[in-house]
Amino acid sequence: MKIVGVLLAVAGWLIPMLSLGFTSSNTARLILSLFGIAVSIFGILGVLNKSYLREAIWKR
Amino acid sequence: MEIPRSLARFLFAALVLLTVCGIPAWSQNQPTSMTSSQAAPAPNSLSLTAPLPVKDANPPAPEDLAKGDPGGTLTGTVNDVAVSDSKKGLTLGDALNQIGQNKVAINFVWTLVAGFLVMFMQAGFAIVETGLCRAKNANHTMMMNFMVYGFGLFAYWVCGFAFQMGGVGATANLGGTAPLNGEYVVNLFGKPFGIFGTHGFFLTQAGTYDVGVMVLFLFQMVFMDTATTIVTGAVAERWKYAAFAISTFFLGAITYPFFANWAWGGGWLSQLGANFGLGHGYCDFAGSGVVHAVGGLTGLAVAMMVGPRLGKYNRNGSPNAIPGHDLVLVLTGCFILAFGWFGFNPGSTLGASGNGALRIGSIAVNTMLAGCTGSFGALLYMWIRYGKPDASMSGNGLLAGLVAITAPSGFVNTICAAIIGLVAGILVCLSVEFFDRVAKVDDPVGAISVHGVNGLWGVISVGLFADGRSNYGGSWNGVSGSVTGLFYGDPGQLIAQLVGVATLLGFVFGASFVFNWIVDVVVGQRVSPESELAGLDIPEMGALGYPEFVLKAYRDQAPLGGIGATVGATT
Repeated sequence: MKIVGVLLAVAGWLIPMLSLGFTSSNTARLILSLFGIAVSIFGILGVLNKSYLREAIWKR
Repeated sequence: MEIPRSLARFLFAALVLLTVCGIPAWSQNQPTSMTSSQAAPAPNSLSLTAPLPVKDANPPAPEDLAKGDPGGTLTGTVNDVAVSDSKKGLTLGDALNQIGQNKVAINFVWTLVAGFLVMFMQAGFAIVETGLCRAKNANHTMMMNFMVYGFGLFAYWVCGFAFQMGGVGATANLGGTAPLNGEYVVNLFGKPFGIFGTHGFFLTQAGTYDVGVMVLFLFQMVFMDTATTIVTGAVAERWKYAAFAISTFFLGAITYPFFANWAWGGGWLSQLGANFGLGHGYCDFAGSGVVHAVGGLTGLAVAMMVGPRLGKYNRNGSPNAIPGHDLVLVLTGCFILAFGWFGFNPGSTLGASGNGALRIGSIAVNTMLAGCTGSFGALLYMWIRYGKPDASMSGNGLLAGLVAITAPSGFVNTICAAIIGLVAGILVCLSVEFFDRVAKVDDPVGAISVHGVNGLWGVISVGLFADGRSNYGGSWNGVSGSVTGLFYGDPGQLIAQLVGVATLLGFVFGASFVFNWIVDVVVGQRVSPESELAGLDIPEMGALGYPEFVLKAYRDQAPLGGIGATVGATT
C-alpha cells in the first residue's frame, strides 16, 4: 500500500503535466491541475500515511 | 576666483554626459547661418579612446590629500576612475567601463550581504528547534542544525549547484555568468523541457571559476541550506544522526537542485508561460515553493516514515502535548529568522541597481507586513480558541507569514502582503491541529505546517495576488510584461502555480520518500526506544547539551551510559 500511495502522489503530478500537451483550454488545465493535486494529497495522506498508521508505534 | 571642487566635478560629469548624449541633438538644432568651422562635430566622430581633459575636473592635489579629508569632499574623484592606459590617461571608454563595473559591484555587494543574512538564519532555525524540543535532545538538535550547513554546502558544491544553475544563462545583474550555459533538455509536446544543468560541478568545470558565478553560488547555497534545515525540525528527537547526514546530502545534491532548476534555473516550470501561454510560467520570487515547501514536504515524508515520538500518542490515538524546554530560545530564534528574511526576499533581486532592483524596499516592507499579520493571525486564533495568547504558535505564525510571502514578495502590494500573512497565520494553526490530531504525524516544531503547507499557500498566492505593477527589466521568465495574478486579470498565472504545487507534491515528496526509504533500509532512520527515552544527546552525540541539570533529573531513574556514567559518578 505504501507503493500505491507513492505512485498516486506521482500520478497527481503527471496529470497536470500531461494536460499541458493534451489541451490548450485554460479551464481544462485548471480542473486537471486541481484534480491532480487532490490525487497527490490522497495518495500521501489517504493511502501512504494510513499504511504507516496501521503499524504505528503507539499501537504496539 | 577659484572654482569649488564640487562644482568642478559636476561640470566635468556634465561634460562627459554631453559628449555621450548631447552633441548629436545639439548639432541638429544649430542655425543654418553657422559656418562649417563653427559647426558641432558629427556624432560618428565621438571617440571612446581619446584622452579626456582630466585637469578640468580639478582633482585634489597630493599635498591637500596628505592633510586628511574629514568632510569627505576630496575622496572619490576622477583620480579613482580606473585607467586602462596610464600613458594616455583617462578616456571616455574608461569612464563608461567604470560605470558598468560600479553597477555590477553594487549588485555583488547587495547579493553577498543578503546571502550572509540568510546564512545567519541557520542560527535562528537552530535555536527555534532546540527550544521547542526537550532538554535531553538539545545537543543532538543543535548539532543537526549546525552540521546541515556543512553537509548541504558540500553536496551543493559537488553537484547540486551545477544541476540547479548550470544552464541558467546570463544573469544581467551579476555581470553575465556566461559559463552557466549548459542545460539538459528533452522535447515534450514539441516544446523544450529543461531538466537539469550540466555546467558548474565543483565550481570549476566548464569555465565556472568566475566572479559572478561565485556570488550566485553563495546566494543560492544558503537558500538550499534553509530547505535542508527545515527537515531536521520535523523529525527531531528520534532521528539517527547518520541517517540525517545521508538524507541531507541527497536533498542538497539531487532533490532540491532539480526542482530549483525547473523553477529558477531556466527549466520547464519557469517556461510554462513561454511554451504554453500560462502567465509568466511558474513564479517563485524567493522560494516559498523552492525552499520552504521542498523542506516541509521532505520533512513530511521522513516524519511519516520515522513515526511519532514515544509518548506522543495514547493507545486510543489521542495526542499528548510535549512542550519544548525553552520558549526564550524559540522567540529569540524567530526574531533572528525575521531579520535574516530581509536577505531572503529583498536579496532575491540579485542586485540593487538595474532591472527593477529598486523594488528592494517594497519587497522588504511586504516581508515585514506578512510576518506581522501572520503573528496576529496565529495569536488571535489561539487566544480565541484556547483562551490564552500562545507564545510558540505566535512565533510559528510569524514564520508562517514570512514563508507565505516569500514567493509573492516581489509581485504584490502591501495590502495583499498583509492578507497573505494573515491567512498564513490562521492556516498554520489549523494545519498543526490537523497533522497532530487527524493525520497523526508527529512534528515537534511544526515544520510541516509552517514551511510545507504555507510554502504551498505562498506559491498559490502568487497566482492570486500578483498585481502586475512590478517591472524587472520588462519581462519575467522570458515573457514580457509584469507578473499578474487571477485577481488582477491573468488566470493563466494561477494555473502555472498549481502545476508547480502538483510538482512539489508529486516529484519532491515522491523523490524524498524514495531516497529516505533507501536510507531506512540501509542505515535505519529511527533511533532505538531506549535511546529515545534517555534522550539522544548521549546515545547519538556522546555528550549532554545541559550536563548539570539533565544529569540530576536522570540520576534516580535510568543508569547513565558512556560519558554520562563518568560524570554522574562524580556528582
